Amino acid sequence: MKLTEEMLRQIITEVVGQMAGGAAAPASAAAVDTDKPLDFIEKGPAQAGSNPKEVVIAVPPGFGTTPTKTIIDIPHSVVLAEVAAGIEEEGLTARFVRNYQTADVAFLAHSAAQLSGSGVGIGILSRGTSVIHQKDLAPLQNLELFPQAPLVEAETFRAIGKNAAKYAKGENPNPVPVKNDPMARPRYQGLAALLHNKEVQFLDPQKKILEVVQG
Amino acid sequence: MQKRQKRFEVLEQRAVNKDGFIKEWDEVGLVAMDSPYDPKPGLKIENGKVVEMDGIPCAEFDMIDTFIANHCIDVNVAAEAMAIDSLEFAKKLVDINVSGAEIKRLVPGLTPAKILDVLKKMNVVELMMAMQKLRCRKTPANQAHITNVKDTPALLAADAAEGSYRGFQELETTVGIARYAPMNAIALLIGGQVGCRGTLTQCAVEEAMELQMGMKGLTAYAETVSVYGTDQVFVDGDDTPWSKAFLASAYASRGIKMRFTSGTGSEVQMGYANKKSMLYLEIKCIMITKGAGVQGLQNGSISCIGVPGAVPGGIRAVLAENVATVLLDLEVASGNDQTFTHSPIRNTARMLMQFLPGTDYVFSGYSGVPNYDNMFAGSTHDSDDFDDMLVLQRDLQCDMALRPVTEEQIIAVRNKAARAMQAVFQEVGFPAITDEEVEAATYAHGSKDMPDRNQPEDLRAIEEFLKSGKTGLDIVRALHKHGFQDVAESVLGMLKQKVSGDYLHTSAIVDENFNVKSAINDRNDYMGPGTGYRLEGERWELLKNIPQAISPEDI
Repeated sequence: MKLTEEMLRQIITEVVGQMAGGAAAPASAAAVDTDKPLDFIEKGPAQAGSNPKEVVIAVPPGFGTTPTKTIIDIPHSVVLAEVAAGIEEEGLTARFVRNYQTADVAFLAHSAAQLSGSGVGIGILSRGTSVIHQKDLAPLQNLELFPQAPLVEAETFRAIGKNAAKYAKGENPNPVPVKNDPMARPRYQGLAALLHNKEVQFLDPQKKILEVVQG
Repeated sequence: MQKRQKRFEVLEQRAVNKDGFIKEWDEVGLVAMDSPYDPKPGLKIENGKVVEMDGIPCAEFDMIDTFIANHCIDVNVAAEAMAIDSLEFAKKLVDINVSGAEIKRLVPGLTPAKILDVLKKMNVVELMMAMQKLRCRKTPANQAHITNVKDTPALLAADAAEGSYRGFQELETTVGIARYAPMNAIALLIGGQVGCRGTLTQCAVEEAMELQMGMKGLTAYAETVSVYGTDQVFVDGDDTPWSKAFLASAYASRGIKMRFTSGTGSEVQMGYANKKSMLYLEIKCIMITKGAGVQGLQNGSISCIGVPGAVPGGIRAVLAENVATVLLDLEVASGNDQTFTHSPIRNTARMLMQFLPGTDYVFSGYSGVPNYDNMFAGSTHDSDDFDDMLVLQRDLQCDMALRPVTEEQIIAVRNKAARAMQAVFQEVGFPAITDEEVEAATYAHGSKDMPDRNQPEDLRAIEEFLKSGKTGLDIVRALHKHGFQDVAESVLGMLKQKVSGDYLHTSAIVDENFNVKSAINDRNDYMGPGTGYRLEGERWELLKNIPQAISPEDI
């Protein structure tokens, strides 16, 4: 199938339908303009934090602008709001960085963990693929990995934030329930390759990692 | 369109139309095997050194070119091999009068672009012919994935036992939650030996952990050591061809079998294909593997199959990459291990490319569990398709290394594996496997039939297990103490393989008497009808007799 507008619309409808079905879904994609760019203000080079009550979230350069939503059309503003809300529910604070050096989710998350005062960080690719990382682990290890972007929903992002905060507090939480859809690949992998090729075009090794705040 | 044509409305609902198809995009390498940016073949050698390869002078080599030029290209045969017209070379691959040995003498003299040029001359039937003739081990084998979405150990052990009992010579697991790795590895080690002695097991996770588990004797081999066809993708993975070669030698030094993994589509999936076709880049991966001195490779796109699967000629390219692997005299674990389509027709057509000619491992692996439990995100075929596979073997008189079984046999091996696992858990200090779990694992379809475990407690116990320095020998001891003498002996037999090292030979599998069968003592000698592997005699009698076939005497 070619990815027609009609099909995208169908996917959006399905996703929104699923989200409406889950009563706990705190934010609805339907209420947000999914094409609106994220209002990110870059604040200069990110510094290593000393606050043990923070979790750092790293995103790649195109995140929030090109594209503005995940592979299942969750707006990036919702993604960040959910993750931050999850962290705040545990009494910790979220700090955001934009990493211009890598669009590899493991290294992205690892860079967040390195900068984080608690040693716990989260990496989120534009399409939704995410990792919870800890600074003392090898880059390709992780605390929790969410490899199938089409299965990472708004409430998953909140759960990711919550668990990251729990790890930061030294707790040993129940991992976010693992999801698996054998048909995600046939449907989305070609599209994911397209999206990723766009994502890497925004990398800029000169810019390194910048602190960002939402305007 | 105001009025729809009814046939088109039906077609639109077909499974195949849920798949994602992408038009070629040469500039980023979204093209299977024929990009206008692929280099033209060529090789210059001066004073025994490669000074120019495929139009690139050595001063401009990137690290992969350098590695291939220095460690893979055989300068002694290069002039002779490169002088052969690509079409003539392609004809040799299908000519039953040209031996595999003669072809494999010449191939190390070819450059990546030349190998691509040869393969581009061949259609899929010719490529299958080449595979039948050139794969390293004569007897085909098979690998299964054994995983579940809950990482629940009794079920993993039971599924491993069923998998090896059904005939899979290799079993591979991975994790839903990374920290479960050692427990999952132990489940396959035990279950695999319960189902069939000599079964090779692995646990695909982060490389340092994977090596550590091999050294502890929790796994028998490793496969997920990934190589890539462009420098940038290598660097993104914090690696180089040399670091991968170093890792390979770490396995070899401990007597642990290993192969690399690569596959078409990975470079473009990661955004750095340098405008080259997927197959051209994959040939470079295969040559890196050869240059590193590794005995084999898992390829056939593997986890990126949705990418070649989405472009024209992609499935042909996937077969061509398997063939390129055996051309370089490497063991091939040939994919068919990831969902790439909603369509059962496409799915089976893709699998026939490896099943019909036979490969070292037709699937790598087949989902030995229902696909909802397959933590490699699903395989082309799963446990619900077992009977279809047995019938395909019987229909075509063609061997994918599976055998007919009865329900009673499977219940028995599943139960034994779960009980053995329960005993080992008690000894090594893992949270208990209850009798309820043993019972559920014995009769389960999948993890949906299993009770939940306390995951944080499991994870804490695994951390302690790793710190304790316990090894495979502690597993042997635990099995022996609890009356599983035969399983204890089998697990010990697997540990001994690492001392003798015979299974480090190309394409090695271990049979139920712990004899190694490899490209050395089971060399593929196919040269046309009457030669090579033939499904006949005792084995054919076994595969003919599926339980559901009606016998004339019974009527």
